[in-house]
Amino acid sequence: MKYFAGIDIGSTAIKVALIDENKNIVASKVTSTGSHFRKNSVDALHGLFTENGLNIDDMAYMVSTGYGRKLLKEADESVSEITANAIGALEAGREYGEIRTIINIGGQDTKAIQIDESGTVTNFAMNDKCAAGTGKFLDVTARNLEIELEELGDYHFNLKKAPLPINSTCVVFAESEIIGLLADGHGKEEIVAGIHYSIAKRTIRLAKRIGLEGLVYFDGGPALNKGLVASMEDELGKKLVIPEFPQITTALGASVLAYEAYLDEMETA
Amino acid sequence: MLKTVKDFVNHGDLRRFRFWLQLLLFILFIYGGYAAIQLGDNLPTFSCTYVDGKPGTCFLVPLQHRMVTTPEKLFSYAGMAILTGLFYFTLWFLVFNKAWCGYACPLGTIQDWITALRKKLGFQYVTYSWEQFKKLKKIKYALLLLLIFIPMGIGSGIFSHDMGVPFCMICPARTILPIFSGDFSQLTIDFSSKTKMIMTSLGMLITGIFLVGAFVKKRFFCFFCPMSALHYLLSKPALLKLKKDGSKCTKCGDCYSVCDMQIKDIADDVESRNILRDDCIMCFKCVSACPEEGALEVDFMGQPIFEATVQGYIKRMQKGNKSG
Amino acid sequence: MDNELPVEEKKVAFNRTHQAIEAERMLRRIKDDFPDNPDAMDYFYDLYEQVYCEGRPLYDTEKVVGTMCVQVPDELIYAAGGVPVRLCNGFYADDQVGAEFMPAKSCSLVKATLGMLDNKSTLPFVNKVKDVVLPATCDQKRKAGSMISEMGYEVHNMEVPPVKESEEARLYWRRSVHNFAASLKEITGKKITKTSLKEALAMVAEAQKAYRTLHALRKEAPSIFLGKDAFMVTNAYFFDKIENWTAAVNKLNAELEQRKEEKFSAAQRRAPRILFTGSPPIFPNIKLPVLIEQSGGVIVADETCSSNRMLYDMVAVDEWNVESMVASIADNYLKPCTCPIFTKNDDRKRKLIHMAKEFGVDGVVYQAFSGCQVYQMEHSSIAKALQAEGIPMLFVESDYSPDDMGQLSTRIEAFIESLKAKRRRKR
Repeated sequence: MKYFAGIDIGSTAIKVALIDENKNIVASKVTSTGSHFRKNSVDALHGLFTENGLNIDDMAYMVSTGYGRKLLKEADESVSEITANAIGALEAGREYGEIRTIINIGGQDTKAIQIDESGTVTNFAMNDKCAAGTGKFLDVTARNLEIELEELGDYHFNLKKAPLPINSTCVVFAESEIIGLLADGHGKEEIVAGIHYSIAKRTIRLAKRIGLEGLVYFDGGPALNKGLVASMEDELGKKLVIPEFPQITTALGASVLAYEAYLDEMETA
Repeated sequence: MLKTVKDFVNHGDLRRFRFWLQLLLFILFIYGGYAAIQLGDNLPTFSCTYVDGKPGTCFLVPLQHRMVTTPEKLFSYAGMAILTGLFYFTLWFLVFNKAWCGYACPLGTIQDWITALRKKLGFQYVTYSWEQFKKLKKIKYALLLLLIFIPMGIGSGIFSHDMGVPFCMICPARTILPIFSGDFSQLTIDFSSKTKMIMTSLGMLITGIFLVGAFVKKRFFCFFCPMSALHYLLSKPALLKLKKDGSKCTKCGDCYSVCDMQIKDIADDVESRNILRDDCIMCFKCVSACPEEGALEVDFMGQPIFEATVQGYIKRMQKGNKSG
Repeated sequence: MDNELPVEEKKVAFNRTHQAIEAERMLRRIKDDFPDNPDAMDYFYDLYEQVYCEGRPLYDTEKVVGTMCVQVPDELIYAAGGVPVRLCNGFYADDQVGAEFMPAKSCSLVKATLGMLDNKSTLPFVNKVKDVVLPATCDQKRKAGSMISEMGYEVHNMEVPPVKESEEARLYWRRSVHNFAASLKEITGKKITKTSLKEALAMVAEAQKAYRTLHALRKEAPSIFLGKDAFMVTNAYFFDKIENWTAAVNKLNAELEQRKEEKFSAAQRRAPRILFTGSPPIFPNIKLPVLIEQSGGVIVADETCSSNRMLYDMVAVDEWNVESMVASIADNYLKPCTCPIFTKNDDRKRKLIHMAKEFGVDGVVYQAFSGCQVYQMEHSSIAKALQAEGIPMLFVESDYSPDDMGQLSTRIEAFIESLKAKRRRKR
C-alpha cells in the first residue's frame, strides 16, 4: 500500500495529511510551527507515521505547501497553498456537492478562491497585508477576554443581545478597544459576537471581489469556530460547507496533488 | 516561390512604381488616340474630350450632353442612353475602383508633378483645418448635382445653351491637358455671349486656382472633384479594395501623416474593414507607410496584392530619408 | 566654548552605496539564477555593472537632457545635439529618500525619481543633468515638476492632452511639440535643422528596427529568450549611448536567430507564456518578472513604458522638411500611446489582445504600483476584455520594498499553476 503526503507549513501551525492509493484520508496531524519549522515539519511527518503504525518507507510522494514550502527539501515538490487549498476543497467537499468558491481564514491571512469543476483556480483574492480578519484577531480576542479559543463559539451563541460593533480596523488597536468595552461593563458574549461579525464582514467583502457562486466552502482553523461560521453565513446569506477537519484541507489538497504527480511520473516513465 | 514574389511586391518602392505607371497612363490619355487606341467615351477619369490625341472620353461629357433633355424624354429613350453609358462607366470603374484617381487620372498626375516641383523648390505644403475640411468636402457632391441638373435646366429652357457642357467649361482639364499636345486654344475667354464670357472666365479663374492650389496643397483639386463623388457612390462592389484590420492597428497615425487627402479615418477608424472613403484616391501611400503587418492591405478580387509589412515600411522609410 | 566636535564628511565609495548594493544583488539574481544566458547579454550585464555598481560615468561633454515619461520625442533632442536620458528610477534606496517628502501613498517610481534628483544621487549620468523634460501625464508626475524645479533643475513641461481622440487634442499636442522643438535651442545651444532631424530620425529608426526584430524573435515557441533579459535590454535604452545599444541589440538578435535555428529553449518547454503589462519594471526593480520566470513561467511580450511602449511605434514621414517631420513625430508620440493617463483605454485593450494572440500567450500579469491610481483603475476593464477572449489575468499590486517577495511568490505561483492546469484541462 502506497501513501501520499501533503504538508502545509503555515506561519502558526503545521498540518500534515496522508492519503492512500484510493484517495482516502488515512491520517492527519496538526502541530505548532514554532521557530524551527523545518525540523518541526519533519518531526510531525515522522510522528504521523509512527502514531498510526505505518511505515514511512511506504510514502511514495510528498508535496509541501504553505509559506515554508520551498525550504522543505525533503518534499518532492512544492505548490502554492492556493492551488492546494482548491484541490483539497474540491475533494473534501465532494460529498456536499459542487464546490465553486473557497474561503480560507488562516492564522495570518485570508483567501478567497474561485474554482471550476476540475478544481482549477480561475480567480483568487488574498488579504496578506493586514491581520484584521484573520485567525490572529481571534487569538487576540480570546487572550484579552481570558477565555480559550475553543470557547469562542459558545460565548457567541449565549448572546442574548445584539453583537457590539467593533470600530478598530487594526488588530492592535482593537485590543485596546476590547479592554475599554469590558471596562464599560459590556459582556464577553457581546464582544465575541462583535468580533465575529467584524471578521465575517471583512471576509465576505474580500470574497465578493471574485464572485460567490455555487457552494461556498469554508476552511482554515477558524472554521472550527461555530460562532464565526454563523456570522459568516449571516453576512453571506447562505449556508457554508464546513468540513469535519477544516484545518487540514490545504494539506489534503497537497496530498492529492502528490498522488497525481506520482501517477504522472509513472505514466511518463 | 510565392513568398518571394509577395516579398518583392510588399517591400517594393511604391513611389517609383507609381511614378512610372502614372507617366505611362498620362502618355496613354494624351497621345493614345494617335495610336488609334479606342477606349470609348464612358471613362471614369479625366481623359479630356478637348485633347486631340485622346484614346477615349471622360464620362462626364456624354453624361452632361445626355442630360440636356426634358424630363419626359429623360424617363423614356433618353434615359436609356444615360443608363447604358452609366453601365459602361461602372464596368470600367469597378475594376480599379478609385485607383483611377491615384494612378490614371491625367489631372491627378499633373498635380503630383506640381507637388514634386514644390518639394524641389523647398516649400512646405498647406493643410486644411478640421473645420475647413468638414465644410469643403461637401463641394464635390454639390458640383456633381449641378452638372446633372444644369444640363437638365438647359434642356428645359431654363438656362441658355451657351452654358455649353457646364462642368467642362470650368474644369481645369479642358484648359491644361491640351497644352501637352501644343494646343493652347482653350486658354481664352469667349466674348461671343455674356453666358460664354462668364463660363470661360470662370474656367480661367479655376485653372489659376487649380495651379496655385496644387502647388500649395497635395492633390488640391481631388477634394472638389465631382468624378470622385460619383466614384464613391458606386464603389461598394468594386474589385480593387482598400482593407483595414483594426485589431492590428496601433493608431500610430503614420498613414494619416502621409495621406494627401487628409483622411482621418485611415488612422482613427479601427472598426471598418473597408476603409475606402469618399476623398480617397487609392494612391496606397498609407499602406506603404504602415509598420504593422497586415493592418492595411490592397485586395483585388478578395486576394491581397499589396500588404503593409514591417520590412517594407523600414525599406521605404530608409530610402525616403536618404533621398528626401 | 563651543561644545561641537568637527564632523568629517565621510564620502561613501560609490560601490558601497545602498543603490550599488541593490543593483549588485539584482544583477546577481538576473545573471546567476538562470542558466544559459545568451553571450550577447554580457554587453548589457557589463553595462549595468559599470553604471550602477561601479558608478562609471557614461557621458562626458555631451549635453545630457533628462526626460520623464515616454511621450518625450527623443528624435528632437538628438536633432538638437542633445542626448536624452530617461530618469525614471527603480531603486528602493531612492524611493526611501523620496518618501521623506512625498505623501505616504505615492507611486514608488515618482518617489524614487524625486529621491534620486533630490540627493543628486550617486547615479553618474544624473550628475550631468540640468534640464528635465516633463510631459504632464499622471497627477504625480505633473506635481513632481514644481518640486524638481525647486531642487534646482530647469524643468520643461510638455502639454499632453488628457483626451487623445479629438482633433483639438492632436493640435494641442502638435503645438506643444513644436514649441518644445523650438525651445531645445536654448537647452542645447543648437537649432534643429532638416539634416539633423533626418539623421536623428534615421538613428532612432535603427534602434527601433533592432527592437522590432527582437520583439518578433520572442514569438518563437518554445521561447528562445527570457523576459528578464528583455527588460534588461530595453531598460538600458534609458541611458546607454544609442549607437552602442543598437549595435548590441543587433548582435543579440543574430545570436537569437542562431538559437532559433538550433531549436533552443530558454525556459521549460511547457512553461506558460506570459504577457507582462502595467507599471514599468525599472532596474533594479525587475523583481516581478524575475519571480515569474523563477516560478516556471516565461515572459514572451510586454506592454510597459520601460520596454515595448518606448520603442515600438515608428514614425513615417511624407515630405522631409522640418515642419512635417515634427508634425509626424508629434502624432506618433500621442495617438498610439497606451499609457493609462488618457480617458479611454480602448487602444490598450486592443493592443494587449492582439499581442496575446500573436505571441500565443497563456496568461497576462498586470502589475500596478501601490499609489498608482491610473493603472489600478484600469485593471478591471482590462481583465474583463481579456476574459472575453479567454485570456486569464493576474492583478498584482506591488511597490519597491523588498519585503513583499513572499506574498508575491504565492500569487505568481498560484497563477502559473492555474495556467498549467488550464492547459492540461484543454488537452
